[in-house]
Amino acid sequence: MSEYILKAPLTINWALNNSCNFSCRHCYSRVDTGDELDGPTLKECLTRAARAGVMAVNFGGGEPLLRSDILEIARHAADAGFRVSMNSNGYLIDGAMAGRLKEAGFAKIGISIDSHVADVHDRFRGMPGSHVRALAALDHLKGAGIKTSISTVICTFNHTTIPDLVKMAREHGASQLNFHNFKCSGLGMANKDELDLSPAQWKDFYRDAMTWKQECTDLDISLDDPIIASLGMRDETAMVKGSVCGKLSLNIKSNGDITPCGFIPAVIGNIVRDDLKKVWHESQVLDQLRHKTPKGKCASCSDYAECLGGCSARALAMTGDFNNPDPHCWVP
Amino acid sequence: MKRIVRNPDILWREEDDAAAEAAALLEQGGEAGEIGTAILFADGTMVTLNLLGTEIWKRCDGLTEEELVTALLEEFDVEADVLRHDVANFLQELAEKRYISYV
Repeated sequence: MSEYILKAPLTINWALNNSCNFSCRHCYSRVDTGDELDGPTLKECLTRAARAGVMAVNFGGGEPLLRSDILEIARHAADAGFRVSMNSNGYLIDGAMAGRLKEAGFAKIGISIDSHVADVHDRFRGMPGSHVRALAALDHLKGAGIKTSISTVICTFNHTTIPDLVKMAREHGASQLNFHNFKCSGLGMANKDELDLSPAQWKDFYRDAMTWKQECTDLDISLDDPIIASLGMRDETAMVKGSVCGKLSLNIKSNGDITPCGFIPAVIGNIVRDDLKKVWHESQVLDQLRHKTPKGKCASCSDYAECLGGCSARALAMTGDFNNPDPHCWVP
Repeated sequence: MKRIVRNPDILWREEDDAAAEAAALLEQGGEAGEIGTAILFADGTMVTLNLLGTEIWKRCDGLTEEELVTALLEEFDVEADVLRHDVANFLQELAEKRYISYV
């Protein structure tokens, strides 16, 4: 599949807003524009994306529930044929809201939780009481019949707590536990020295996480980091080699700007004024991401054909060139 | 005989350009088995189907296995026994992945 260009993205990660009730220390979008598309424009863009063949949309932000028309937008997206999901901090999801989200057509909602320890999560997210409400949100959503996932950004204070995170996910009925690799974007860059792991720590983390993934039959543990390929532990669920950005998915910012992913700041079009399929097929940036040129140690690495240099966003953020080796890579 | 139904959680679409390329190759007497003409997608996993796989998948909507084979034989010039064997193997694979079920 790596050489074959799909007719359109399978999925779009779509930021509806940049306003947020939290102050997370790794947030990638705090430096983004506060501009938002109005409801009618957003709906028209969703309709066109569905016609282009996009199958799923995952709403994000900011905190998407701060957008007053979120339910109306979700209903429109579901009616257009999308599988609709959302990432939220869960703070505003009580039983009544969970029911409304179900009625609006949400198939799945991911809740961000970075630790099984409430104080640790609350400090990281900058909101006292947020852990309790995030766990409650999982319960309310499950009660309403919406599939849930937990999104955990792996960093220095949680990378050795996989068993506790798995236990928490099981206790609250999440169907998926997403371990997101730490990106050096936005505030993540500013706080990377304190929060990011060393390459050796990433190697240990992924070795443990892959073992858990293979042994957990009741919980889908998602890792989604191409550098895992160099562990020799093949992730059977990996959909493409290397990063998925620009191969399977795109990102849309709250002002409509299209980027390869939420962590690569290169604007390749705008969903309001540009044709999505034209951008998908003709963007030079996407072409370069799909056909990377190995540089540095990648040029002689025997794992390159499998990992394709790892996370392009991380390499770009740390070195200025996404063809450079992923800074998390532990291969000498 | 039980009827085949697609798992409603599976998102899928045909890849129009690839399908046209595969059809053109077949028209010229070439091999199109390696060309992905449909994508199945669910919860972070993806499966690419070739032309035959796509045609089988499109018919997994309430037919029995024998009805599905009969429907394909009406459209494609292939040996019935070979097709029956290929369809059975493919459906088994889809069922193992929980992409289809039998009701």
